[in-house]
Amino acid sequence: MIGKRSMLQIAAVALLASTGWANAKTVCYVTAADSHAYATPANKALEARAKELGVEILSLSQDFDVQKGTEQLNTCVARKVDGIILWPLDPQAYIPGLARAQQANIPAILINSPMSDDAKPFIKSFTGPDVYEEGKLAADSLSKALGGKGSVVIIAGQAGNGTTIGRVSGFTDRLKETSADIKVLDTVNADFDQQKALVVSRDLITRFGDQISGVYANDDTMARGFIDAWKEANPSKAAPPIVGINGQKDAFESIRTNEMYSTIVQSPVEDGRLAIDTMAEIIDGKEVKDRLPIPLTVVTKDNVNAVEPAF
Amino acid sequence: MRLLVLASRYRVVIILGLTLVASALLVPGYLSASTLSLGLDRAATIGLIAIGLTVLLISGQIDLSGGAVFALAGIVSVILQREIGILPAAIVAILAGTLAGAINGALVVGLKVNSLVLTLATMLIFRSLAHWITNSQPVSGTDIMLSLALAKIYLDVFTIRSALFIILIVLLHFWLTRTIPGRNVFAVGSNPAAAKESGIASDRIVFLGFVFAGTLAGFAGVLQSLVTNTGSPVFGSELTVAVIAAVVVGGTRLEGGRGSALGTLGGVLTIGSLTIAMEFQSVPAYVQQVVSGLILILLVMLDRAVTTKGRAQGTRPALVRDDPITQGGKAWLGGKAWLGGKA
Repeated sequence: MIGKRSMLQIAAVALLASTGWANAKTVCYVTAADSHAYATPANKALEARAKELGVEILSLSQDFDVQKGTEQLNTCVARKVDGIILWPLDPQAYIPGLARAQQANIPAILINSPMSDDAKPFIKSFTGPDVYEEGKLAADSLSKALGGKGSVVIIAGQAGNGTTIGRVSGFTDRLKETSADIKVLDTVNADFDQQKALVVSRDLITRFGDQISGVYANDDTMARGFIDAWKEANPSKAAPPIVGINGQKDAFESIRTNEMYSTIVQSPVEDGRLAIDTMAEIIDGKEVKDRLPIPLTVVTKDNVNAVEPAF
Repeated sequence: MRLLVLASRYRVVIILGLTLVASALLVPGYLSASTLSLGLDRAATIGLIAIGLTVLLISGQIDLSGGAVFALAGIVSVILQREIGILPAAIVAILAGTLAGAINGALVVGLKVNSLVLTLATMLIFRSLAHWITNSQPVSGTDIMLSLALAKIYLDVFTIRSALFIILIVLLHFWLTRTIPGRNVFAVGSNPAAAKESGIASDRIVFLGFVFAGTLAGFAGVLQSLVTNTGSPVFGSELTVAVIAAVVVGGTRLEGGRGSALGTLGGVLTIGSLTIAMEFQSVPAYVQQVVSGLILILLVMLDRAVTTKGRAQGTRPALVRDDPITQGGKAWLGGKAWLGGKA
């Protein structure tokens, strides 16, 4: 961790040296909202990192109002900023604004959420969590816990939701890829809701009982639902290994007490930092990849005390 | 006192001027052609709805459902694109706005209910319809190239949308000041009973006012959806307040009977330039709202100071209705007549 930070500092100093304090660059940051469990830490991290880089941030909050956001893009263009970081809340609506930015030679990137393919010509990069990758990491983690053999149940999020699709297909694809001897008994939707997860978990435990040798929940909240259902059914028996995603504080607690096997930290702080780091590189004239995922950390009992929970 | 009256009369010009001067001095990079063009384009959305609302407010009514009609018309125009093509879809969508306005007008006139309460109700209904039709998801149109064309800036200043807004508001100015139907709107707003007595069809004018407001909200919504290639049930959710603020800053009275198109133009430009100036300085959204609120309070206070003391300026028929002194005067006159009779 320390090595990583000092590396970042060196990068920051190098960047400062190349751009110079005198002509500070301004980046327009059109964020989803000012106050939100995930967005606020991401905003703060982005602004703090920008300060380190000597980049000025013009922060505009959409307050989850897409129309406001499309108009704020115009403000960014009129302000003649050096770059735009957009947190899109709609797959299409920002395209004309992004096109205007492009006409004005202002580079734009997306943070956190994707837009439709139509937007691709107008953005330099998309930084944010890769939910498919999260599914793959979860598969590896559970496979390791089971020694590559077993039968598992998947407690998925909302049907049709992009995050759900990515996290489930990443998991199942990875199992096929590694030819692990792990069978998926059933996949059920619990809408990222603890109560719904509790109900579907009761059914799963009744149906499959001891056959369940592992559990994959699309997020930590639903993992909690399974843990509670298992405790009801088998008060004295230890639960099978459970893998969740998000890296919430209570999941860390469950890992410490052996109730959960692992979770994956998707950090809003990293989300914010990567966006401004990427924009700084673009302003500096460097080429960046069109898709930059934020670092994901698998947390098990081995490293639970060394990693910060996401929120 | 005279100064105050003058200040009240030209308040829009003063406020707009002050806003622009302060912004130019305090906000680096504010004075430029690109600020003007993008600011105008942004103000046009508020402005188109404000045109309709100006007429309604002058006639003594209000429409809170504008933002919802804006969203609904936008959605209709996008959804129908696949079925009947872009232009017909846009026309049908504007007519949907007209229909929404007709519903508002028919209910207000027919049931003789307060338009504030009624349009609050229809606002909720239209907004929910928008969510219902779209399953609460934004819908995408068929032609993103059209959006890009519509977003283009001509002559360094105008987009198609902002040009349409300027043309319409100038037309409204002539209609309100130079035509008989335009003057009748003021008469209805000042004193509906007196207007009726003098042969003006008050109900019809109020009804048509709602139809006009609905049509313009629909028109603004269709333009927004074409420019963004998106119909979204959440579009315009914060628009109504901004529109009312712009019209009131422009000197139109909520009580009816007074107002002007050019005042609204000034109000729209003031709100627009203020928002952009604050965004340029990265002022958080909630502080922006506080500033807008304070300006409104200031204006209302100025208005109060002038209307209670500045009787010399008494060109406002609405005073006859809500000024207790005038009514007291009538009673006194009556008394004198009675006294006279006895003598």
